[in-house]
Amino acid sequence: MITCKEFFAEFADYMENQVSTEVRQELELHLSQCRACHVLYDTTCKTVKIVTESGSFELPQSVSDPIIDRVMARLRTDHK
Amino acid sequence: MSFLTEIRLQDKFGPFVAFQDAFGFIPNLLHAQTLLPRVIEAQAMLEKAVRLKEGAIPRVQKERILLCIAADRQDEYCLAVDSKILSSIGASDRQIDDLLSDCGNANLTPAELTSLEFCLKLARHAPSVSSEDIEALRECGFGDQEILEAVLVTALALYRCTLSVGLGPEPDFGLRKGVSTRIDSALGDTRQSLLPDAHKAALRKGPYVPAPYLSLESFSPFAVVQRSHGFIPNFFRAQTLRLDLLEAELEAIDRILLPEDVLTRVQKECILLAVSAANLNSYCVAMHCNLLRGLGMPAEEGDQIAVDHRASTLSEPDRALLDFTVKLGTRSSEFSRDDVGKLQALGFTGEQILECVVVTALNNFANTLQMGLGVEPDFEPPRVFEQNKVHLSDASRTPIEGVHAAHLVEPLPDADAGLVTQAQSGGLEAFEELVRRHSQLIYRTLTGILGNTADAQDAMQDTLLNAFKHIGAFQGRSKFSTWLVSIARNTGLQRLRRAKVFESLDEGEHDDERKHHPRQLRAWQDNPEQFHSKSEMRQLVERGISALPPNYRVVVMLRDIEQLAADDVARQLGLSVPAVKTRLLRGRLMLRDWLSPHFANSVGKAVQ
Repeated sequence: MITCKEFFAEFADYMENQVSTEVRQELELHLSQCRACHVLYDTTCKTVKIVTESGSFELPQSVSDPIIDRVMARLRTDHK
Repeated sequence: MSFLTEIRLQDKFGPFVAFQDAFGFIPNLLHAQTLLPRVIEAQAMLEKAVRLKEGAIPRVQKERILLCIAADRQDEYCLAVDSKILSSIGASDRQIDDLLSDCGNANLTPAELTSLEFCLKLARHAPSVSSEDIEALRECGFGDQEILEAVLVTALALYRCTLSVGLGPEPDFGLRKGVSTRIDSALGDTRQSLLPDAHKAALRKGPYVPAPYLSLESFSPFAVVQRSHGFIPNFFRAQTLRLDLLEAELEAIDRILLPEDVLTRVQKECILLAVSAANLNSYCVAMHCNLLRGLGMPAEEGDQIAVDHRASTLSEPDRALLDFTVKLGTRSSEFSRDDVGKLQALGFTGEQILECVVVTALNNFANTLQMGLGVEPDFEPPRVFEQNKVHLSDASRTPIEGVHAAHLVEPLPDADAGLVTQAQSGGLEAFEELVRRHSQLIYRTLTGILGNTADAQDAMQDTLLNAFKHIGAFQGRSKFSTWLVSIARNTGLQRLRRAKVFESLDEGEHDDERKHHPRQLRAWQDNPEQFHSKSEMRQLVERGISALPPNYRVVVMLRDIEQLAADDVARQLGLSVPAVKTRLLRGRLMLRDWLSPHFANSVGKAVQ
């Protein structure tokens, strides 16, 4: 079986679903037998889910509109 | 004399001694490379491992494969050398003549005949090889090792033929009278089965040969690729069944690709990209595009080289270098000493021309290997070369000729294109509409770089003004949104520099994020989000992301918040895809550590 270090080296590609079938099988075998890596994998997946679903850093229209309006007003003045 | 200057090397020069011992002579093909002894070493390593070493395929069969490919390509130099070598290991003149004129009567076993047919097909037109061909080999009793070796011997044959065409060595021996310089007979006529169709293209799923997983730690020669590519591509992982052969290949790459004393690495990658595209090898095109991006070339420029290097913004000499390599790599029958003369007239030195020929040979070796093993892509290819659009010219014996990279899938049209044209002619309404469409993306890029929303809102105004100022220079080679992000990125970075908290977004040595060690190893609740309100979750995430270093923050922002694909993030930030992936992982792990106290099982125990 592969070591935790080897698992970690493939972790980024595995999360992005970019490993070959053989590598995937090795990694999943490791995950089924190593609690530390399993926790790491599970919590990282949860992190990604939380982050992607959080709707963070939405730019409210009430903020973006005045910025865009200011820029457009300046451009229109410059182009007169 | 060959096309280039030859210099005298010591008789004790290792590869010369090895060839003298193995074949009884030192081929002139080696003398033709004496300007760069390291490339002779590379060839010697490949020949020793692939051709001479006892393996799964008997030596005599390997020699037959090499000879038949040389004959098929009408390469008189290799044909004469390989006939001599085959006869030196016991084949009679009659057997050689039979092999070249009518191999059905050359006393070959059905398995030998099938493997020869496979190798010729792979050498003639690699994109048409499918898992059906591999199945045919397996039905004749071929195992994984034999298949891998057959593919490697074919790749070596193309490596040597490319060198011989590009360097024009003096013949070592005259061709015996009557020796056919081309394969005839039923064996030669595999054209019918070469014709690809949609059904066959669907069968091209690889990898054809299983390869045990090996990490960088457990196979130290991978360090060469880690250094040259920044990661271990599937191309190399697919060959771990035979570590001796893989190691020789890596040592050859170390001698050909890595030194920058003659051609630069960027020039070599451009050569590899242009010839891979002309060979319709989507895998290698994707890989070299990504490597060039890592070396600082804009993605659009790499794409342009793949489609038509003449229309790229490379310098005139570099475009001429690519004319030379594409002709040598894919239209060898048209190649002559005059092509070498053209490069010399442009000021290229003998060493540079030699290295270009060797890199072209290495490319044909790699393209053949990738197609023969059905290696799966590492990246989404920027261009997909469709199999069913490959046309073989009428009765062509060398189908690769005449096939150009024109058969490409057109990129998706940019929905912004119409508005961009209006904005470029001063249409302010069109510009305003574009800006409103992409304000969220610009804002998130700026927040990613600057780390707080107030600065991002401030920088947004500058970004929009800069975008309008420069919109005339946008040439439509990338999507408009990509271009807009690059303006936001530069505006954000300028601001950081002014505030003297600048941290480069470029790739640096400390980019080996995989070494990051997560601190929190406590399991989390099953659905952590259900214990917190939506706005609490959002605030937590925003605080966590703001606390990340800018390098990681901007990647996490674009990939996980804005949800762009990894290669789009790479393109927009001017980074390589591997760099994006490693930064993303590190950013996510830091964020995970930061969120962990909020979501960890209160009763769970930390894992040691």
